[in-house]
Amino acid sequence: MSQVGKLGYVDSKLGAPTSGQQTTRILFNTIENPGTTSSLSFFKNFQGLTNGQTNLTQNKLDSMESMVIKTIWLSQLTTADILQFFGGTAQQTLSVIVGNQTVVKNLPIQFNQGINGQAFDRLHENGGGLVDDQTPTSQSQTIQPVEIRLLTDIVIPPQVAFEVRIESNAGVYGTGAVVCALSGYGKIFSAGASF
Amino acid sequence: MALSAQDKILYVANKLGLSTLKNMQGSTGAVYDVDTDISGQIFSSASRHQNPGVTNITENQFEVNEALLVENIAFYVLGTDGIVRNFQSVYGSSAVIVYDLVIGNKRVMKDTPVFAAGSPYTFANAGVKSEGAPGAPFSSYSPRHQTFMEGAGILIPPQIQWYVDYRIFDVVTGATIAATDSTTIGCYLFGTRVLLNFNTTI
Repeated sequence: MSQVGKLGYVDSKLGAPTSGQQTTRILFNTIENPGTTSSLSFFKNFQGLTNGQTNLTQNKLDSMESMVIKTIWLSQLTTADILQFFGGTAQQTLSVIVGNQTVVKNLPIQFNQGINGQAFDRLHENGGGLVDDQTPTSQSQTIQPVEIRLLTDIVIPPQVAFEVRIESNAGVYGTGAVVCALSGYGKIFSAGASF
Repeated sequence: MALSAQDKILYVANKLGLSTLKNMQGSTGAVYDVDTDISGQIFSSASRHQNPGVTNITENQFEVNEALLVENIAFYVLGTDGIVRNFQSVYGSSAVIVYDLVIGNKRVMKDTPVFAAGSPYTFANAGVKSEGAPGAPFSSYSPRHQTFMEGAGILIPPQIQWYVDYRIFDVVTGATIAATDSTTIGCYLFGTRVLLNFNTTI
């Protein structure tokens, strides 16, 4: 089933509106100063974040909006704006929870980043390795963010809470910020001729 | 993309009553412009810009029976020296552009982030790795700053104005970042193009 078909199928099952502007949608959320922890929850806390740190105000889409997640993107930055390995080099797993259902369960992410990198799919380059042992700076990146391409279309329906959860054994996330982005196909509210 | 590019163009054209668009020349094309005014808007002042140094359009709408199905939106930095630079190498890894694409009176891309660290690449591989002298080892990555419209290409129809609204933030602190004259933000829209074809009409 195509992503367009699947989104329409799920929306109709839930009785959600299927009209709206088709578009490419990227949702993102930031956690400031995450420190060392065994669990991170993205799209859970929006308090104090600016429009440059998230493009949602709550952990659900508007009543006329829905999307299909195709790609999950993660990055970790220091206060000096340097991109780092996400969670150090700790083994980490990622889960996506939509409503009361886990739709991606304990997916390992460390293979798609850094010196361990062997991206799951053949279409992405690895997250990057140490490039000639250069010292990274804000303007000179020696690694790439984590990116995982999903093989199945994961639908976030309208008005259903969702969350991305990272688990590790004391992952080192630093004092800067970590960012999670969900990219894919979506529908946004379109007033059309009704306003 | 669920539909082929051509199918989507014809579908939208049919909805808009553009009955002759199907007779035009299909092609590949890109339009670009730079926010030289640092106004937070790209393409809207293209008519005042040097061509092709800053832009390749004379106004931010296409002629009769010309259109563009946008399949890739990309951002870059243009310095006062006229050289195109990588967004990350100028603004640093924590910068993020949050933009809207507006066609007519409709916002078709909504609060979309492009991360300086490397926006979600979807099917693309990593950005170009920069090198020093020929033969020198790689020193860093130059990430991509593009949104690939894998979900649905978006058609800019003939004779409808479009522009990109954007802001730059520091994703770590949440603060806005101001562009300067030497670090102006440029944008290109790439995709399947429809060009006016006289053969069937003259």
